[in-house]
Amino acid sequence: MEGSVAVDVAVGDAAGPVRARRRLAIRPLLKPKILIGGAIVLTLIVAGALAPWLAPFDPNAQNLDLALKPPQWLLGPHVLGTDAVGRDIFSRLFYGARVSLVIAVMVVLISGVIGVALGAISGYFAGIVDFLIQKAVEVVWAFPPLLLAIAIMAFLGQGLGNLILALVMQRWISYCRVARGQALSLRTREFVDAARALGASNTRIIVRHIVPNLFQSAVVIGTFAMASAIISEASLSFLGLGVPPEIPTWGSMLADGRTYISTSWWLALFPGLCIFFTVLGINLLGDGLRDLLDPRLKRSGTGMG
Amino acid sequence: MSWKRSAIAFAAALAAFGANAQTATAGGRVAVGVTETIASYDPYADSVSLAYGIWCQVLGCLGVYDFSKSDYVGMLAESWEVDKADPTIWTFHLKHGLKRQNDGKELTADDVVFSFNRVNTDPASQQKQNVAPVKEMTAVDKYTVRVVTKVPTASLLEYLFDRFIITGKDLYEKYGASQADRKYLWGWGPYKLQELQIGQRIVLEKDPNNPQVKPENPDTIIFTIMREPEQRVTALLNNEIQIAEFIPPQLAQRVREAKNAKLVESSSVEIMFLAMSPKYKPWDNVKLRQAVCYAINRDAIIKSILSGQADRLDGPIGPAQYSYNADYAKKNLYIPYDPAKAKELVKESGYKGEPVDLYTPVGRYIDDKEVTQAMIPMLNAVGINARLRTPEWATMWADVQKGKTAFYYMGRGSVVDPSPALSQYFETGGSPRIGMSDPGIDKALAAERVEFDPASRKKDLNVAFKAIEDASPACFMWSHRMLHGISNAIEFEPDPTGRIFGTHIVVKQ
Amino acid sequence: MVGYLLRRAIGTIPVILLITLLVFLLIHAAPGDPADLLLSDQATPQDTAEARHRWGLDQPLYVQYSRFLVNVLKGDFGTSFRYSDPVITVIGERLPATIELAIVSLLIAVALGLPLGVWAGAKPNSWADNLGSFFGFFGISMPNFWFGIMLILVVAGYLNWLPSSGRSTYGIARGSETGFYIVASLLAGNFDAAWDGVKHIILPAIALGTNMMGIIMRVTRSAVLEVMHEDFVRTARAKGVAESTVLWRHVLRNALVPVITVVGLELGTLLSGSIIVETVFAWPGSGSLLISAIESRDYPLITGTVIIYTLAFVAINFMIDILYGFVDPRIRFGR
Repeated sequence: MEGSVAVDVAVGDAAGPVRARRRLAIRPLLKPKILIGGAIVLTLIVAGALAPWLAPFDPNAQNLDLALKPPQWLLGPHVLGTDAVGRDIFSRLFYGARVSLVIAVMVVLISGVIGVALGAISGYFAGIVDFLIQKAVEVVWAFPPLLLAIAIMAFLGQGLGNLILALVMQRWISYCRVARGQALSLRTREFVDAARALGASNTRIIVRHIVPNLFQSAVVIGTFAMASAIISEASLSFLGLGVPPEIPTWGSMLADGRTYISTSWWLALFPGLCIFFTVLGINLLGDGLRDLLDPRLKRSGTGMG
Repeated sequence: MSWKRSAIAFAAALAAFGANAQTATAGGRVAVGVTETIASYDPYADSVSLAYGIWCQVLGCLGVYDFSKSDYVGMLAESWEVDKADPTIWTFHLKHGLKRQNDGKELTADDVVFSFNRVNTDPASQQKQNVAPVKEMTAVDKYTVRVVTKVPTASLLEYLFDRFIITGKDLYEKYGASQADRKYLWGWGPYKLQELQIGQRIVLEKDPNNPQVKPENPDTIIFTIMREPEQRVTALLNNEIQIAEFIPPQLAQRVREAKNAKLVESSSVEIMFLAMSPKYKPWDNVKLRQAVCYAINRDAIIKSILSGQADRLDGPIGPAQYSYNADYAKKNLYIPYDPAKAKELVKESGYKGEPVDLYTPVGRYIDDKEVTQAMIPMLNAVGINARLRTPEWATMWADVQKGKTAFYYMGRGSVVDPSPALSQYFETGGSPRIGMSDPGIDKALAAERVEFDPASRKKDLNVAFKAIEDASPACFMWSHRMLHGISNAIEFEPDPTGRIFGTHIVVKQ
Repeated sequence: MVGYLLRRAIGTIPVILLITLLVFLLIHAAPGDPADLLLSDQATPQDTAEARHRWGLDQPLYVQYSRFLVNVLKGDFGTSFRYSDPVITVIGERLPATIELAIVSLLIAVALGLPLGVWAGAKPNSWADNLGSFFGFFGISMPNFWFGIMLILVVAGYLNWLPSSGRSTYGIARGSETGFYIVASLLAGNFDAAWDGVKHIILPAIALGTNMMGIIMRVTRSAVLEVMHEDFVRTARAKGVAESTVLWRHVLRNALVPVITVVGLELGTLLSGSIIVETVFAWPGSGSLLISAIESRDYPLITGTVIIYTLAFVAINFMIDILYGFVDPRIRFGR
């Protein structure tokens, strides 16, 4: 059913144990959401990966004589204009794509691994382990989202590693909760008893039987988490708490452009558009994937992970 | 009888209507958009320029620096002299017959002494540094104050004028600190405090009995806190405010093009510089430090990033500041942009190419991130492997204060008489910020401090400037020109300290 | 039920305590000294040492923390370093501005998102659905601070229709705007001031509310889609009830439950989003207060504000949980 949405459910799959890897037919992939979203995301990946070859200028090459030039579009070398120290905006957008991509992927992977692991453990073992882990989840979750990241960045200082840490700190919770819910229901299934009877260790049970069931929800959560990671990185850079200045990011370009907003509007417009379209693409793709992979999986429809 | 009554009623109505018409045209009311805030009712609890400007014109200062005369003039003090035999003794003579707002009580020396004690003992006081050189203050008679400094201090007025606020002893003792500050901030200044809303606005009203005010000065001044420059410019163009403080260079054109306002430029008293701490390698080598000064193309940065709105500093100070000598600066203090010479100096210094970090605040000074960004390729071009770091201000300031930052871009404001600032940054033991220790600098600064003859002292200060440049703990960049947006409805020349005195504003009729 | 509620309520207390500890440790571990930052840059080391002593910062951490806890239990959140006023007072003056902004943003989000979602859900794959979904995706993909900047640029700057920042214009707003400006002005009959307040709040509320609008639209759409297939809808139609009544009276009421729960969940995001939007628009609320408190390391103010935000967050989540438990005890929810 297209576009169904609601709330996460602790799905106990009546069909039984591990879902076999589903063959995805090609036809359903051609839905507009997936096409458009996929195209945008693909463009992002290509732009980021091939930045050194696609960008006309070195993103850090300054030219004070050409500072704050408006976009020349197709009439000149500086297609989208230059910034306050004469760097080419168009080129910086490519490299910014790179950074956004790297950060988003890393944040999603790390928080996904941590979240799923902790959630599976929490749900499988239940009892005191579950209680402790869930208390940690509550504490971290009770922090208003941006606040924790701001605190970490303000206190640890600039740096790619610190930024990723700050962004991971609250994102693992989404994975954890869903994983826990599913693990909790799965642990009472017959196949788990069977595996245990056959002598499988807890670790093996978790890794071989429980985690694969969580994979699909994780993917869905992951796409939306990517979108929100990009926006959070931009917000932090905007507040001056992002990566050091030699790394171009869309967020810091936005922050830099803010002081020039009324006189050199192109500094802030283009990075913002990039952020917007990237996030839009990811959301479209995520939505489409979700419809495809598990239309029965009720989700919260927030889109912001 | 009834027609008389109606006539009176008619006249009253006319008067009322006329009064309304006056307020409708807002005659004599000037609104100012400012960037700083006053955080407390306690006049000694803030240390920002705005606070000093407001409290000086409401409560009163002994005197102020008059930039049009390039000298200090008395406000509550009539005259002063230094004892010829013992230069640690200063005598200030207060003006006679200065009546306080609202109750007319006369200013006496006791109030001055009381204020001195309060600055030092008030738990919330942030102004102790303003009376730091003073050992004691005593009231010799009703209008005479004797000030004894710890050591001979020729620059005493830089501390005591403009920044030492005088409050009334009797009100404080009668009502207690918190009530006196909240309800009885009556002073000897030309403007009365009408309203103070922390973080939002300060409203002043002209005291018509004060001899300093003229009828064409505004009746009411409203200082509205507007931290965003866009906000200030928009408010100016919409006639919400008549003075917009501190317009950044990129918005200057908008104000110039405005039909109801004009852009007024003036020099500022803030100096911008690159500090290099010799406590850290590779900055322990004077040649490398000098190389930095030759490597930066200041004129190019001023032209393109600062839109020409800055004056290159030849030496630590600029034309608006005390003891500036244009000829001497041109002959002895000017460092040209010379990348070839810089490269040579770098080689001679033995610098091995290790990475160095240049730290800059972001958004604290005009275009700070942009100008330092432009410096990086200039440094790289002469062989200095520099990287830019933009930490959060709190972190950066903590490190600078402790002397943990080796190479940074910084500004020092309120530099009129440069002696305290130079001593703070460059003298041995002045502060940990650079950790410089050079006997030539120390000797020169010590000499000017005890020279009480103005002409000789100015020469001594210039000698100190040369000593500082030779030892090169810092490269002096520029001082930003202050841009104010002034409505066409008033006449106002901004003062280089940025303070806005009601007595300097003329409302056009 | 009461027992359950009580247990849940008591369960949040250790969470809140842990959070205060976490915030406390984070702040004190951070580089940056409030004494250095708040005193003038010409202050001597003795002055800063004295200020530190006055603020109790020279005590060991556990002493500071226990003193802080004891005071909080008494209702005293300490005194702001910068403003020398009790933290509660300082925050209290700024909180109404944030609440006002949050409420107006929510109103805009609901006023736009709900109808769009209903129309889209009622007629899937029609132009109404496409239009509504466009808004939905737009809303959830738009970075709010960038949107705010663009709004300022175009609406305030270029078109000059609305003021670009701040909450009120002096001269119109007599007296303090630290309360609920718009409502208070209306109640006092001061329509100029009320209109002034409305003019100032529109742009920030749009910037803040767009994200929520997208979320509401999408959730409503899905909920409506679900409900449309229920039996009672078919029955109502069979009885000859007008389609619009079916939609707006019967369907919507049933669809509202998941919408409300999601909105409640997202209120936290709204709260943190308001921090940035307040900064962009120079809106004098508790969000921008927090940012400036962090910048000046005003420890009591930071902890006070964070605790209040967290309490609000926890309270909202708690209520949502309860509401949810009421609505469908079968569904255990994860986020």
